[in-house]
Amino acid sequence: MIAAARRAWENFRGVGDAAVTVPPLDGALRPNPGLEEARLVASLEAPDCIVVHDGAAYVTSGTELLRLGEGSGTDTVAGFESAVTALAVSPAGHFAVGLENGTVAVTGGRHNGRRIDRLGGAPLMCATALMFEGEDALVVAQGSLHRPPSQWKHDLMERRADGAVWRVHLKDGRADKLAGDLAWPCGLAAANGAIAVSESWKHRIVAIGGGGRPRVVLWDLPGYPARLTQASAGGFWLAVFAPRNQLIEFVQREPVFLGRMMAEVDPDWWAAPSLTPSDTFLVPLQGGAQKHLGMLKPWSPTFSYGLVVRLDGNFRAVSSLHSRADGRRHGVTACAELGEEVLIASRGGGAILAAPVEAAHSVVRAMEAAQ
Amino acid sequence: MAASDTWTRWRYRYVPDHIIGEVLAKNWIDTLIPVVFLAGVLTFFSIELPGFLSGSNLTDIAQIYGEYLIIIVGITFVMMAGGIDLTVGSTFAFCNLAALLVINTMEVNLALGIPAVMLMGGAIGLVNGLLIGYLGMRAFLTTLVMLIIVRALVDQGLLDYGQTVMSGFNPSAAWEFMAIGHVYGIPASLIVGGVVALVGHIVLTRMRFGWHVMAVGGSRRSAYNAGIHVKRTVCATYVLSGMLTGLAATFYAARLSSAGTDVGKGLEVTMLTAAVLGGISLGGGRGSIVKAMLGAIIVLLVQNSLIRMGLSSGASSLVLGAILLLAVAIDVRWVKNRHKVLARTYVSPTYFKLPPLPDTAEGSGSDYALNDRLRGVEAIGLGELDGPEDVIFDDEDDLYCGGRHGDIIRFSAPDYARWEVFVHIGGHPLGMAFDREGNLYSCVGGMGLFRIAPDRTVTKLSDETNRSLLSVVDDSRLRLADDLDIAPDGRVFFSEATIRYEMYDWMVDALEARGNGRIICWDPKDNSSRTVLPSLQLPNGICVEPNGQSLLFAETWGCRITRWWFDGPNKGRKEVIIDNLPGYPDNINRASDGNFWCALCGMRSPVFDLALTMPSFRRRMVQKVARDEWLYPNMNTGCVIKFDADGNILDVLWDLGGEAHPMITSIREHKGWLYLGGIYNNRIGRYRIPDADPQWTSNADYWGKRS
Repeated sequence: MIAAARRAWENFRGVGDAAVTVPPLDGALRPNPGLEEARLVASLEAPDCIVVHDGAAYVTSGTELLRLGEGSGTDTVAGFESAVTALAVSPAGHFAVGLENGTVAVTGGRHNGRRIDRLGGAPLMCATALMFEGEDALVVAQGSLHRPPSQWKHDLMERRADGAVWRVHLKDGRADKLAGDLAWPCGLAAANGAIAVSESWKHRIVAIGGGGRPRVVLWDLPGYPARLTQASAGGFWLAVFAPRNQLIEFVQREPVFLGRMMAEVDPDWWAAPSLTPSDTFLVPLQGGAQKHLGMLKPWSPTFSYGLVVRLDGNFRAVSSLHSRADGRRHGVTACAELGEEVLIASRGGGAILAAPVEAAHSVVRAMEAAQ
Repeated sequence: MAASDTWTRWRYRYVPDHIIGEVLAKNWIDTLIPVVFLAGVLTFFSIELPGFLSGSNLTDIAQIYGEYLIIIVGITFVMMAGGIDLTVGSTFAFCNLAALLVINTMEVNLALGIPAVMLMGGAIGLVNGLLIGYLGMRAFLTTLVMLIIVRALVDQGLLDYGQTVMSGFNPSAAWEFMAIGHVYGIPASLIVGGVVALVGHIVLTRMRFGWHVMAVGGSRRSAYNAGIHVKRTVCATYVLSGMLTGLAATFYAARLSSAGTDVGKGLEVTMLTAAVLGGISLGGGRGSIVKAMLGAIIVLLVQNSLIRMGLSSGASSLVLGAILLLAVAIDVRWVKNRHKVLARTYVSPTYFKLPPLPDTAEGSGSDYALNDRLRGVEAIGLGELDGPEDVIFDDEDDLYCGGRHGDIIRFSAPDYARWEVFVHIGGHPLGMAFDREGNLYSCVGGMGLFRIAPDRTVTKLSDETNRSLLSVVDDSRLRLADDLDIAPDGRVFFSEATIRYEMYDWMVDALEARGNGRIICWDPKDNSSRTVLPSLQLPNGICVEPNGQSLLFAETWGCRITRWWFDGPNKGRKEVIIDNLPGYPDNINRASDGNFWCALCGMRSPVFDLALTMPSFRRRMVQKVARDEWLYPNMNTGCVIKFDADGNILDVLWDLGGEAHPMITSIREHKGWLYLGGIYNNRIGRYRIPDADPQWTSNADYWGKRS
């Protein structure tokens, strides 16, 4: 009764859960052409994950695991029966991959060939991120209990929160649930003894560990966070794969319209976040994105965007790289540091990009020195 | 789903939601609050008090109302200039005493006595005016202090002259008439009050002083910058208020001949309540005499009735105070939020269901299958044009187009590299057509229908049509004349896209999906315009067919093309020839092979089509989501279709991705080329039509070869 009254009040005032406001890109998140100007390392069909081991970078694209070679070449390391949706590398250089068909496979080392397709007695369904803890433990981010990774758009529009993070002991296959009821956990990184998890649909990062409830360490992001990786100078790199948008937040809160849109319209044409800049008129337009004098303005409202955020050790944003509404390098799903550069997977742009890290690192060092 | 769809359709067909926004946009809406309040007061007391509306009660009230009216006209002037006058209570008492002394006791002639009393009131007002207007003191504090000072003077005066005053008696008939006389049952004070109110209204709304007062109240600084004597104007309003209070006091003196200590006590609060309740804004600049009159009658009725109901005077003040607080609260909130309410309610979506979206996929075999034929067309005026909505050619092959700067631009044949401003009109010229004599006709957004002679003389042909019977907004003015064509007899048929939005807001009309537009006929015989087809969904392109008896028009948001006979045996008949376009049709023009070209300025998307069937969704979106983020039809891709007189699609030309021509609003075939215009584009496109007649021109097709 009280909850219903509060909902009605929030609905009337447009506050709380009913708010469709979106945080501005300001401060450390001020737009720049960083991603548009980044060096193109390789063009791939659908780059998704990146990991670095022993001076080499490994990326996934479609069903393949590839090693980035010198120049713009790639070598296939392994192929899988279904699309790769998550990737981790162990300290010894063995890989674990999550697959679209709901399994996690380990290749190489002691646990070569081990397959995980059930967690806690239920199908795994949706592996969105993986992280090794030593050689024998694997942390698995399960985006959703009900949908495979490719149906992320459905899960997002319904604002579901039934994902979980598990620790799987590879020796005996035992799985411990570290946290449940997460809204599409999608990135994992070790952080001072805890595990930082990017919770996409709630636009935030939570820290799990030491028992108790997940602790929110970064909130109110202007986009949906994806993979999280540690940076060499301390702190993290966060890939943000799509922007938040007032219209989408509004549609999410319109159950009748949302239901009919999901039932009647092809997901590619929804009013929903997207990894790729739209190239068809079947996607609806927002008023501010009307082309004037033959030009799409970079500040137009958009369903897709490219954003990489550098976080310091306290999860504060210190700098960022952007590809704006008129750019093509959208849908950044992962990044990883390699030498003096950070490698960035732009799913929407079909590209692996590289940007220098020194500028961002020096900001972090200066901020830490100031404390 | 089907049942609820049906219900939604009927609900939006028969409940005219858009009227709420239109009513709120009216200036007289401010007066509506006191009128409603008055109706409530009348109803309440008619039920509670038997005999409330009886003749004797009304006569009593009318006499007092006359006095109130005189005072409140002065207060209105003060408040309209942004001030406040709390001194009225004391001034009233002072002038009452003075009137009794001068007229009653000293028996001075009324023609001298009344002006003398008014001058005394004016003198008190002058002190206020000098202090507030010229010394810049706070109006509230100054008039409050003056209230106390003048009250002290009155008390002293009562001590000195109290006895003298009570014993005096002026036997003149005029004095008696002021007290109890009436004409046709209307008491003298009310007649004078009515005249004062009428004069006040005329001064305030029609004369220089009144305009100055409103300007000062609306924005003191702007008024000063505009050269108005702000200080003098402010001072004058207080003098006026004082003089009118003096006049009212003489009527009171004549009526009651009493000089008690409680005369005029609390009058300032009563008057303030009346003014604010009527809708005279405390901030100045908003209000009218009529509102003040309404406020005064409400307050008087409440006061009078409360006394008759037997409330003690304390309780009566309590009620009055509560009403004042309420009125101030409403005033503050209303002034602050009125435009927000209007913005929230003006866009009023309705139900519209389009047939299933036709396939446009490449290789789908659909009439509309995608291709890239408009990619890489030649550009004319690239980067120099801003919004060539339509393109047309004269007999010398020179090209004319409009522009957002309000010009019609002429490019010279044969290479169209050199251009000049042909004429400057002021509004954005949209559709264009040449008549038999070589005059150029153009629909100018925001202005109307214009004719430009070859010697560049611009003539306004029409900027209004007949007002429709039940419209709330004045729909006689043309807001957005869009495209036109000329019939063989010289009549011009032109479309007005929407009557609810201005030129720069035309896309918002898509969210309403109501038939807000119309087609108008301008007749050269008597230079008159009449609406011939009302309630169309953004009527846009118009093309008279070669038979000279019918025309084709496109309804942009309706995604259909309709034929309408304006002459001949089928006169008045209307038939839809294409009813389910995959995009939004804009201009229609003739093709050399006897068929027609039509530009689609934007394309349908399944999500927007779905939203069209859910008006309440769109309404909430308009209210909750920022304007730039609203869902619109996709206007970033356009195409050109060719169709025959039966509505069969013969050809389609696409510019996929909208690289060069994001939005195509018009097409014109001329000597084997097709020219493309776009209202937001920075160029005109030029496409070679394969196998087209290289000699064909639109002018010759319409009017025959000219020598």
